[in-house]
Amino acid sequence: MTLTFQPIRVATGFDEEGMMVLDAEQRLVAVLVRLSDRNEVAPGQWNLEAGFGPVNGVTPPTFADLDAARDWIGQRLARGW
Amino acid sequence: MHSPFHPDYNPMIRRMQSVFTLTDDERQALQSLPMQVQVIKADQDIVREGDRPSRSCLLLSGFACTYKVTAQGKRQIVSFNIPGDIPDLQSLHLKVLDNSIGTISTCRVGFITHEALWDLCTRYPRITAAFWRETLIDASIFREWVLNVGRREGVSRMAHVLCELMVRLRAVGLVENHACDLPITQGEFADALGFTTVHVNRVLQQMRTEGLIELSGERLNVPDWEKLKQLGEFDPTYLHLETDQAAA
Repeated sequence: MTLTFQPIRVATGFDEEGMMVLDAEQRLVAVLVRLSDRNEVAPGQWNLEAGFGPVNGVTPPTFADLDAARDWIGQRLARGW
Repeated sequence: MHSPFHPDYNPMIRRMQSVFTLTDDERQALQSLPMQVQVIKADQDIVREGDRPSRSCLLLSGFACTYKVTAQGKRQIVSFNIPGDIPDLQSLHLKVLDNSIGTISTCRVGFITHEALWDLCTRYPRITAAFWRETLIDASIFREWVLNVGRREGVSRMAHVLCELMVRLRAVGLVENHACDLPITQGEFADALGFTTVHVNRVLQQMRTEGLIELSGERLNVPDWEKLKQLGEFDPTYLHLETDQAAA
């Protein structure tokens, strides 16, 4: 599964940079945000803000880097519903 | 009435007193109820789903929670338990527990055998009615939580649960002005509210920035109670508390 990232700013209220995650057919499958250093739970980690289709979930993890996020999202999409 | 810090303080008696005036006999019966008191560390199960308990637990001090877990191991906290609660009172009638109860902070728990509870209920019908009433209020709290978790948005959902905690803690004498102990972690709030921990943190930061709450260590202070109530759409009717102090 080929996933690509496109930077996007996300209005979380905390000045956080984000990434749109697109699948091979350029469909939006997820939005990631790099948590601000002020975040007390996982500062600097990538948080799955929104996921679509199989990536949607109530308790998504946070990721140390974009590669970890790519792996997790890829697995979810491969597994399907 | 003993203060909450007195070793003989019995929050169950205080709770019953808020509903009706106990006779001397009734008070004596409650005070002499045989109870095995145990101190349980934080983050331990008191009872587990599937257990067939022969006793119920009265929370004497500390915070606990009632929870259930999905097949994938995701936990949903369905209520917070505070001193005076008997969170598994239903096990007197329902033989198999359909939820678990775990400590949030270190708890002092009084275990009362079902035999002793049956005996108490047989002799004191008003106490039986009070226990029945308690389980009805538990159900009312669960209904409110379904509404809260299912339909209220971020800050409102958190504000509602904080209002509930303040009012319930006040009813057992554990709120000073608008401040109380709050040993609940952000992860536990996430499990209770259906948020991620990241979202809980953002919501709490937003509430602190707006001056709605002050958190220092395990102490919560609410500088503007009316505003918090309004944000949480909080109406304490569902708690069915009888005391004036609860309405504050």
